[in-house]
Amino acid sequence: MNDITIDPLAEMEQDKARAYNQGLTPLHPPQKSLIRLNVGIFTAILIIASVAVEFGIRNELPLAAGSIIGPVSAFGLFLFVMLPNRIYRRWGYDIGPDGQGEQLRVLRGFMWRTDTIVPFNRIQHIDVAQGPFQRMFGLSTLIVHTAGTHNSIVALPGLSTPDAEAMRDTIKGHIRQDMI
Amino acid sequence: MNEAPVISTEPEVPEANDGKSFRRLHPLSILLKSVAAIGQNLIFMGVLYFSVFDQNIVYAGLAALALLVFIVGITTLIWSRFTYHIGPKEIRIKSGLLSRNNRSIPFDRIQDVSLEQKLVSRILGLATVKLETGASAGEDGKLDALALADAEALRDTVRDYKSGVAAIAADVADGPTSAEDIEERPPLFAMDNRRIFIAGLFNFSFILLAVLGAIAQNLDFLLPDEFFNPWYWAEQLSEQDMVNGLSFSAQIAGAIGALVSLIAIGMGSGIIRTFIREYGFRLDRVDRGQPGFRRRRGLFTLTDMVMPIHRVQAAILRTGPIRQRFGWYHLKFQSLASDGSGESDHSAAPCAQMEEVDPILDETDITNVPLGLEFHRVDPALWWRDAIIISVILGGVSVGLGLFVQPAFYALILLAIPIIAAMVLNWRHHKYALTAEQLFVHAGWWRRKLTILPIRKIQTVDVGQSPLDHPLDLATVTVGIAGGSAMAPLKINDIPIATAMALRKKLI
Repeated sequence: MNDITIDPLAEMEQDKARAYNQGLTPLHPPQKSLIRLNVGIFTAILIIASVAVEFGIRNELPLAAGSIIGPVSAFGLFLFVMLPNRIYRRWGYDIGPDGQGEQLRVLRGFMWRTDTIVPFNRIQHIDVAQGPFQRMFGLSTLIVHTAGTHNSIVALPGLSTPDAEAMRDTIKGHIRQDMI
Repeated sequence: MNEAPVISTEPEVPEANDGKSFRRLHPLSILLKSVAAIGQNLIFMGVLYFSVFDQNIVYAGLAALALLVFIVGITTLIWSRFTYHIGPKEIRIKSGLLSRNNRSIPFDRIQDVSLEQKLVSRILGLATVKLETGASAGEDGKLDALALADAEALRDTVRDYKSGVAAIAADVADGPTSAEDIEERPPLFAMDNRRIFIAGLFNFSFILLAVLGAIAQNLDFLLPDEFFNPWYWAEQLSEQDMVNGLSFSAQIAGAIGALVSLIAIGMGSGIIRTFIREYGFRLDRVDRGQPGFRRRRGLFTLTDMVMPIHRVQAAILRTGPIRQRFGWYHLKFQSLASDGSGESDHSAAPCAQMEEVDPILDETDITNVPLGLEFHRVDPALWWRDAIIISVILGGVSVGLGLFVQPAFYALILLAIPIIAAMVLNWRHHKYALTAEQLFVHAGWWRRKLTILPIRKIQTVDVGQSPLDHPLDLATVTVGIAGGSAMAPLKINDIPIATAMALRKKLI
């Protein structure tokens, strides 16, 4: 389904990802960079906050320099190094073979894992959304809305935009009127 | 204002003669809303009287008059800008003073229609129509208020509308007579006063206690200054040696008396609340248009709700340990729309024996638990894992407080016993079963809940694992159904992941 030219390195990467997501289709590889960017921003905020806290309480409590910044930065860097790849490889989706499928399956989560199945005929409507960072990487999010109160929105981020649009068109054909 | 019955003889394009066919609410609703608004502003006036006007009755009176004129004026303006139109397929509501809102609600999408008559509305012969589509919290269309006959006609129009076939005006005209037909048929379920009393007994609540407390607090100028000061009471008691002076058995009797009176207050307020809400409860089946349920109840505020049967998503049977002993169940239907006042499901029989529940369920395509259906337990990790966590936390807290604050805090660890006991009981009562058509899930020991869900109504299925689930290879299945509470979806907790996957395959 990917329109991009597949280089061997990326392909290897994809194979590795499949080992962790029960053999489902992994997300578009640039999504990993996007996750890394997001985690990086989070880490930066964490470190800035720790700097602010340390300078804020310096006058009140005589702590050794860096006794707050140090551990927080170490933790942030640990997250930055460890997390993105692990989050990425747990993601997976499946819509069945080539337009013949009946349901959307979305696998996500590193610590808290969730495996969601939405039958196509239960989908109320579909969005393809793209944020500013996603646009930089040529990624889109497929969002399906169901009538269920739990899981009323199921989002699948990290698809290449043509993929997301193709999936939307596949699913669109299955939407039925007035299911409830 | 045009007082003809609400029958639309509208051409296909309602936009063509905009404005003419649009009707206003009943003029008396101005009075109704003004009174409500004035009630809300009484406190404000009181504050003004004591502060700005320095208790000058003339100025305060003038200000009150100005406020009154302002409120009535605004209410009238809002009323004059609120119009609705009932077309062959939809109802349109135009509202708003400055920013105009033009809403269209297709009859197709209406989940249920309810008529509500508060005490004042009943005296004035008005009724509020609430239309629910389930799109958002609260009502999506609220006509507050119409003349009762108009409201009933509107309700019948919506009820008789069948998707694809617009209701014919002549058909709608004999709506009221059909309502009388229904009156003659025996109801599906009704509650007499004795039954409501029983329902009230189990509807234990401390609302009355809270109200008494609030009254005591507001009228505290009548009480001695020290009334809310516990040290005052402690001193009084120790000085008089009242408790210590009594014999041991008298102390026990006093404690039991206090407990009994507390229970009596709880039961009393439960009974009162139940009477106010459920008085004259009656559930009928309506066959005109789409088959549906019609429910009427209320002592002061009458509500009259019609809900199409095919909107029912799941049946919920609630009970409790004591209630179940006597065979009483509360049957609810889950649908996309919510049942006013915070209840997420539609109450269909607040207090019924199983043999009374079955005929109601027969009207829907949901069947009760078949005889000999085998329920599966979930993994005992559901209780022992939480028990370990709670023991560790309680142990840490009690040791910490016991060491550094007061040795008596060591006793906190004893709290773990009832908590863990409740966990074990909850685990024992969490069971599920699957037939070819339906999923049955039991949950809760104190608040027992049996959900009966037709498999076709399932929207999504999640298999989730928390970090604590991975080492035990357990998973939780969460089922997405239309309606119900978003906070507490239908879940089957802690079953082996292979079982969870197999179960999901059968569900979808």
